[in-house]
Amino acid sequence: MSSEAPVPGGWQPSRRWSLGAAVVVALLVLPFVPLLITSLGHAYFFPQLLPETWSARAWSRVLAADAATWPALRMSVAVALAVTAVSMAVAVPAGRVLATRRFPGRAGVELLLFAPTLVPAVAIGIGLHAVFVRLGLDGGVSGVVLAQLVPAAPYVILLVASVFANADLELEQQARSLGASWWRVQWHVTLPLVAPGLTVAALFGFLVSWGQYTLTLVIGGGRVVTLPILLFSVASGGDSSVTAATALFHATPAALALLLSAVVLGGRHAELGGAR
Amino acid sequence: MPRIGWFALLATVALVAVACSGPEGSGAAPATVDVHDWDAVLAAAEGTTLDLHMWGGSSEINTFVDETYGPPLAELGITLQRVPLADTADAVNAVLGQLEAGRDSGGSIDVIWINGENFATMRQADALRTDWAEALPNAALVDWSDRSVANDAGLAVDGAESPWGSAQFQFVYDSARIDPDDVPASYAELAAWIAANPGRFTYPAPPAFHGTRFVKQWLYELAGGHDALVGDDAAAYETAAAELWERLARLEPSLWRGGATYPADIADLDRMFANGEVDFTFTQLPAGIGANIDAGTLPSSARPYVFDTGTIADHHYLGIPVNAADAAAAMVFANLVLDPALQAAKLDPANGWGDGLAIDPTRLEPARAGAIDDVLERLGDTAVRQDELAARRLPDSSSALTRQLEEDWDRNIRQGRR
Amino acid sequence: MVADAIGGVRLWWRRHPGAATATGIAPALLVVGALFGAAILAAFSRSFGAMPDPLGAYRVVVADPEFRAAAAMTIAVAVTSTAMATVLGVAAALGALRLVRGRRTLLALFQANLAVPHVIGAIAMLNLLGQSGFVARIAGQAGLIDGPASFPALVHDPASVAVIAHYVWKEVPFVALVTLAILRAAGEGFDEAARTLGASRWQRLRSVTLPLVLPGVLPAALVVFAFTFGTFEVPLLLGRSYPAMLPVLAHKRFIAVDLAARPEAMAIAVIISVFVLFVVVLGAVTARRAIRRVAT
Repeated sequence: MSSEAPVPGGWQPSRRWSLGAAVVVALLVLPFVPLLITSLGHAYFFPQLLPETWSARAWSRVLAADAATWPALRMSVAVALAVTAVSMAVAVPAGRVLATRRFPGRAGVELLLFAPTLVPAVAIGIGLHAVFVRLGLDGGVSGVVLAQLVPAAPYVILLVASVFANADLELEQQARSLGASWWRVQWHVTLPLVAPGLTVAALFGFLVSWGQYTLTLVIGGGRVVTLPILLFSVASGGDSSVTAATALFHATPAALALLLSAVVLGGRHAELGGAR
Repeated sequence: MPRIGWFALLATVALVAVACSGPEGSGAAPATVDVHDWDAVLAAAEGTTLDLHMWGGSSEINTFVDETYGPPLAELGITLQRVPLADTADAVNAVLGQLEAGRDSGGSIDVIWINGENFATMRQADALRTDWAEALPNAALVDWSDRSVANDAGLAVDGAESPWGSAQFQFVYDSARIDPDDVPASYAELAAWIAANPGRFTYPAPPAFHGTRFVKQWLYELAGGHDALVGDDAAAYETAAAELWERLARLEPSLWRGGATYPADIADLDRMFANGEVDFTFTQLPAGIGANIDAGTLPSSARPYVFDTGTIADHHYLGIPVNAADAAAAMVFANLVLDPALQAAKLDPANGWGDGLAIDPTRLEPARAGAIDDVLERLGDTAVRQDELAARRLPDSSSALTRQLEEDWDRNIRQGRR
Repeated sequence: MVADAIGGVRLWWRRHPGAATATGIAPALLVVGALFGAAILAAFSRSFGAMPDPLGAYRVVVADPEFRAAAAMTIAVAVTSTAMATVLGVAAALGALRLVRGRRTLLALFQANLAVPHVIGAIAMLNLLGQSGFVARIAGQAGLIDGPASFPALVHDPASVAVIAHYVWKEVPFVALVTLAILRAAGEGFDEAARTLGASRWQRLRSVTLPLVLPGVLPAALVVFAFTFGTFEVPLLLGRSYPAMLPVLAHKRFIAVDLAARPEAMAIAVIISVFVLFVVVLGAVTARRAIRRVAT
């Protein structure tokens, strides 16, 4: 991971690779360029490459004190925090068991825990809607939170399991044999071992919820207005600048949070980046 | 599973149950509000939160609603909470779902911005509170004898909704691209124009609102006017519709992308028009497209106009679901929006909207009508003259005809050519 | 007293490891299994109609030309996107390993990309690839096209170019990060031995690197397939109106005013769920067998 790492033999580093990387970086960032320009353009029509008139109108609309952005932001954060909290609450015990124990029926359990991430959200949404209407859970925040657990919790469980699998839990035994109480061991030994990984797992749970459009739409019926729901509502108005600004507003916290975690946690748990 | 596992299971059930039992809606007791005792309505409304469910796609309209109605409502002790919908049908389905589940009071939706199909759906399901709209203090300013006020989607309104504003379908062209004298003035002329300018015209796919309107007006023209279709005369419809599908199918190769696909909604069409992909878009705003030009979503040379054969005009309304928790606040709001000064503000494109009037200005004493006249005088060439609009006004059809038309378009045009 | 009780419970616990296992897993199974199970069961039971013809909804759906066209298009888009994302993702990972500088930046970007919601990527593609979008404007400024109409239709188009472009953009980083995780686990000098034995660059890629990463990359590719098959908002924003892709079609039937279409929506939901699970399980089994054959 570190830039000074020895280079695998033979494939000598060269400018060619750097050039390739530059192309990849450019392609990754490219879609955001027109989004940013559009958000700052006024009457930004074909064939203008850069706007003839720059304008902060869209951003001042999106960031105005009474803009719909803020309630939607609060709703998105509240839903994502609730989804993350419940996911973590079930994932820590389950992840630990999955990482450390063999038991009959394990494959079935894993399949059941992983299948929800594969099934299309639309299918889960319209199925759950039928159930939630009967329970009076449709159109409300709690229904949306419960629905989002279906895709979010499995990821968090898988990540937490991988954290426990990679942690050196032998240290627990050593501490116990030295006479430390169970609680002291959990607090002083286990927690420091797994905390960075659990943070990443929680972050992923948060992000799965943050990006959820389908389940929020189907279960919330368009009335639980999170940022993705707001974004679609804004897009239906045809104001490209405001739509672009709202989209960037929605993207920024997620990207920032992930970048921050990459910096703060360094490369130690980068293997978790392989999950999503 | 061992016993202790069951214990954990029960604990989790309890946890989930607690997590789910948060309060939904305001849950207030179902106050029986009598609209005829206005002081009692005001008193009942005080201290409540008004959940206004409305299409939220326009940041200009959203801002206008918050800034224009928020402060006066606050003075009456009402907190305005606007819920932006991508589609009004979401709110309609929610109310119907609540009623189906037996939630007859304390509903989370106090008032819906509604008309047309959505009104018909709710009205036929008895999901709207009736007999209040004509009793509002400001209802005296509304011309309830006007057919286009008293009927919505071919149904009698019967006080089940109160008008908020009015709209009329208009075509929009770019005066920098097309000479005003060369724009088609009827569907027959439009068809000729499309054939002569392949790839430069399209319309949103019905059931998108503007697409349905566009197709329906063509049907009117082919039927020899709207009157031939009144009363849902099936034979008249079949004859005119068969001709319509024939013509639309023949035109398809000359449409944008050869008619292989259609824009999803008016937002798509506006964007394509502004970028020069097509030469026409549509608007519903009687005060014109000044607000769109100010926002930079349409070019400054864009101009609205109407066909000589006329275009469909209608009103849009505020409806109160039968199970609304805060019906009193909803009535106060519906009354407030009819205030002449606030109607004038809504009419003014400079305030971001440019919506038509719901009240009849001739019912106002001159001093109160002044603000409206001022706005109309300022409109300029980004709006069609109001007397011309009035002269070209056609009524909407029944919602049954609308639904039939949408289904038939889908079968004959969208799927037909493949 | 209390301490005794707790001690007693803990002792019992240690003697019954099965109980501890069950207690640990139960909440997760309850939350995920109950919600997921309820959703699938509800869709399943509601997809069946009244007695004379319980399979009526399925009959209608399967006979519907729009469903057939949608299914063919959805599968084609998912397969194309998955293949491109997998190949490019592995290539990007192998390339990233050779970087002297900027590897961290690249990885951070890959991770940040994963965090971008699909909705935003789709709206970005609309602004980038539309006929009056950013690329079209570059072409216009360069004099390659004389108007939006002469720029190829990449959005709402029959070939679903923008949909595929979005999926590739979104999933390449995912595949790349999985590949990098595998290579890192294998150690930095994984192909050192082969090199000292004199194998050429391509020989090493074929017989050392790819067999090393495939067992991890294939499951990742199956996950990518499931995503590209089932995502709703991307084809909604970038796809054609007719035929619509399967998730969009299911939702369209679901919100139809005509309540009779609801069982059809449920039937489509069941069909796409079963299909995805079938493909993934079949793919996983086949992949495992193939890998075992290569390994022995």
